[in-house]
Amino acid sequence: MNIVEIENATKTFGEHIAVNNLSLSVPEGAIYGFIGPNGSGKTTTLRMIMRIYRPDAGTGRIRVLGEESLTAANDEIGYLPEERGLYKKMKVWDLLRFYAELKGRRDFNAAVKHWLDRLDLADWANRKIETLSKGMAQKVQFISSVIADPRLVILDEPFTGLDPVNTDVLREEVLALRQRGATVIFSTHDMAVAEKMCDFIFMIFKGNKVLDGTLASIQDSYGQDTIRVKVENGGFDPRGIEGVEKVTDFGHLQELRMAPDTDSQQTLAALMARGRVAHFELAKPSLHDIFVRIAGPEADTAATASQAQEASHA
Amino acid sequence: MRKMIVVAVREYQAAVRTKAFVISMIAMPILMCGVLIAQTILEDKRDISDRHVAIVDHTGELFDAIVEASNERNEQDIKDQGIYETKNGKRKQVMPRFVIERIAPTADDPERVKLNLSNRVRDGELFAFVIIEPDVITPKDGDSRQSIDYHSNSPTSDDFQRWVGFPINNRIKELRFAKAGLDQEVVKKATKWMSIANLGLVSVDKEGNITKATETNELANIFIPMGMMMLMFMIINIGATPLVHSVLEEKMQRIAEVLLGSIPPFQLMMGKLIGMVGVSLTLAVIYLFGAYFAIRHAGFEEYFPSHLVIWFVTFLALAVLMFGSVFVAIGAAVSDMKESQSALMPVMIVVAMPLFCWIFVVREPTAPLSVILSLIPPATPMLMTIRQAVPPGVPLWQPVVGIVLVLLTTIVCVFAAGRIFRVGILMQGKGANFAQMLRWVIRG
Repeated sequence: MNIVEIENATKTFGEHIAVNNLSLSVPEGAIYGFIGPNGSGKTTTLRMIMRIYRPDAGTGRIRVLGEESLTAANDEIGYLPEERGLYKKMKVWDLLRFYAELKGRRDFNAAVKHWLDRLDLADWANRKIETLSKGMAQKVQFISSVIADPRLVILDEPFTGLDPVNTDVLREEVLALRQRGATVIFSTHDMAVAEKMCDFIFMIFKGNKVLDGTLASIQDSYGQDTIRVKVENGGFDPRGIEGVEKVTDFGHLQELRMAPDTDSQQTLAALMARGRVAHFELAKPSLHDIFVRIAGPEADTAATASQAQEASHA
Repeated sequence: MRKMIVVAVREYQAAVRTKAFVISMIAMPILMCGVLIAQTILEDKRDISDRHVAIVDHTGELFDAIVEASNERNEQDIKDQGIYETKNGKRKQVMPRFVIERIAPTADDPERVKLNLSNRVRDGELFAFVIIEPDVITPKDGDSRQSIDYHSNSPTSDDFQRWVGFPINNRIKELRFAKAGLDQEVVKKATKWMSIANLGLVSVDKEGNITKATETNELANIFIPMGMMMLMFMIINIGATPLVHSVLEEKMQRIAEVLLGSIPPFQLMMGKLIGMVGVSLTLAVIYLFGAYFAIRHAGFEEYFPSHLVIWFVTFLALAVLMFGSVFVAIGAAVSDMKESQSALMPVMIVVAMPLFCWIFVVREPTAPLSVILSLIPPATPMLMTIRQAVPPGVPLWQPVVGIVLVLLTTIVCVFAAGRIFRVGILMQGKGANFAQMLRWVIRG
């Protein structure tokens, strides 16, 4: 069963089209990752799923948890807004208790205690939010979104600005949510996190859906067009080798994007001619690379070029 | 409903637990009653050094009478027009003594004499001087005005000028009666002034006996209504700031999105308003008890308007809902504190409107204009309370109609605010202008 179903939804603010004719299905029990550059429509989509925003009149339908309700208030959905969302002057315990009560939980004291213990925040229960570090505040915010055991958890940038320890803690909690049967939708700028954690990845760019599916299916659509290579030679420059379209230099490792139908054996031979090859790997493009292909400067150049071409044809 | 109460409780605690709330709770009455408090404190700090006054008496008939009256004043208590006050068994001088100096009239140029005396005043030797012309005892014919000249360099400090008129006129009267051959005693009896006592109405008590009317206290009749109006104004003011703050915080910190995922916007807003009503009622209880004990301590218990407390609280709660909904709408529509302050200003002027016309309403509580003013919904809570507090009070239909009108206005305000709140609370960036807010209200 799909827990979220969006059909042909469009949302405009004045002249600006934030989300354009979007369709999306989120199966129950999945972890669904939303990626896309800033201002591309991620938060608007999340807010439509929250039903804080409704699609423009006459466009699309949104069905969440099997119903087309018009109100945002739903105790089965937990939401974590980006970065903020906490009353600064309230104490941790009072705040969580308030959110738990607001979600209709009757045994709020037990729930708050359970979560504070679980995320190692018990000593901070009587401290004001404004005295917490960013990582702790983020954990408090996470608790507030899951304290009512929601079936659907929507997290807007939950890992932004966290240190590796806290990132691990939250990642484990998100996985535990799925274990429990909840569905998790989260947006992120961290492609590595999205690759490792998500069952499905959805990318929105300038209001349009550009990717949607499992990581493998997305990568498959791009084919095995990437070579990762390490050549032991200080001044090594792979440009000029036949079939190399783009080089991404990671310092110790270089990623070459190859033109379709390039023979990898010939590429290897050309590389060996330039130095001692220590690593050679045929790979599918990383999510990072796919993201940059869609939203990076080269996409802009390509778009401008195709526009210019269209203009010259016209 | 339960969620609305959860929001109301949080709102109440957030408002009451802040330092700002406690400070404004104490500061507001000081601000409002500052004049009275300062007056009481400064009363003791008067300059009681002797006032030296020179008198040139060209009649030769008045000076002694003035000195005699002055000596008498310098010995007597304040209640007998003197200068001493007895408090807790201690007699203390609270007004300056008058020390009178005789300047014998001479044949010199009168203007030169005045200049010399003026210079003595400038040098600080004298406080003032008085010139009594020779013709003052005989009244002039017709309407021509006669006066005695009092010269000083401190025209606002007029104690002596006001006082000296009495001994002079008393003595002049005596002289004029004597000249006309009238017996002083007979004249005194014949012209005895009758004062008019200001009494309330006679009524019947439970046993059927007719009770005597009591003397009314004009001060109480003005200060009690004024106090009730000020109290209401103050409470609305104190409650407004935390309410706008909390809406703004929820908007700027993206708390609103979390809240709206749990509770519909209208209920959220109502929860906040109920919280503010709770804050206001808490303040009302504190201030009313304070006022009651203060009045009782001063021995004026009978003037405490206990029969009006229920009306007062009802009007207060409605006023808080009516204005509070507007505050919430503003908080949701603006984008920061600075903007909220300028947007609140016009609303605050509407809230303060009754303060501009209350004196008229107290003096003319039954005038048609007062009735109309007190039935204009934004002014009703304060002006109706005033009219109820001034005898003879108002017919029951008026506060009832007032409440109905305020209730209708409140419903309209809450409804409109709900629509503005729903859209505004999620808006980031620039605040909305009035036209935009109106569009949100109409479109829904």
